[in-house]
Amino acid sequence: MSADPRSRRVAVVADSLLESVLDELCAEGFGIIQLPPRGLDRDTAGAWLEQVAEHVAEFVRNDYDVVLVSDGLYAEELEALGLPQYAIQPPSTSRLTPET
Amino acid sequence: MKVAFIAHCLLNQNAKVEGGAKRPGMWEPVIDLLRERGYTIRQMPCPELAFGGARRFWGVREQFDTPVYRRHCRRLARLVAAVIEQHASAGDDVVLIGVDSSPTMGVDFTPSAPHWGGKPDIGEDDSTLVRGDGIFIEELKAELEQRGLPVPRSTGIRHWFADYDPDEELQRLEAILS
Repeated sequence: MSADPRSRRVAVVADSLLESVLDELCAEGFGIIQLPPRGLDRDTAGAWLEQVAEHVAEFVRNDYDVVLVSDGLYAEELEALGLPQYAIQPPSTSRLTPET
Repeated sequence: MKVAFIAHCLLNQNAKVEGGAKRPGMWEPVIDLLRERGYTIRQMPCPELAFGGARRFWGVREQFDTPVYRRHCRRLARLVAAVIEQHASAGDDVVLIGVDSSPTMGVDFTPSAPHWGGKPDIGEDDSTLVRGDGIFIEELKAELEQRGLPVPRSTGIRHWFADYDPDEELQRLEAILS
């Protein structure tokens, strides 16, 4: 195997926001852990969140940077992970700058 | 709706065994293709990360094929199968993309070395890729069968194959996508 280029940066991302933040997170070198989509039954969503918590715990234990990109769904369960919220970058306003 | 269930590491290279990542964050060739084709992504768990940890050693199928690891994979497979079942019930088109160099997520190929074990100083990697499923994929197929669900069209990423050919992989992926 060759040198390992992993970023050691992981973003836990709400399903509803995944498409809109994928390019930005990819450009910044983040790996992604996807949160369960809306509409799953309680048991399935719970099982999904349980395995997310297990993955997060392992990354945190090994000093990876882990952030949360949340849409508010499953807020109570996610709060227990104690992750900092990732600040989504605002779209560029360069095109709005008036010509002088 | 078109839905692709993908191996965890395709969206998160940090889950790979140390030395196994190919990119900083995600394996873009697959992610980009799925987005271009309008697929909704459903990321599967990484059984190896959760079980062996981020600092696990490399391994082959024979090492992972234990009753306890199979129970762990089956627990995660029940979750994935439940989500597949929901999509299947809604009439969604479902595909599955694994990793063919993995003892866990291999779809068509999985690594084998019956003699590996003991002190972790194997030296040169003398494992071979053999036809067959990884442990998780095998348990997922069993879980789907138990639920009366068909196995989705599937293939595995082969970016660790010595003769890896991105064009061949693209054709193989396109063949399972609608």
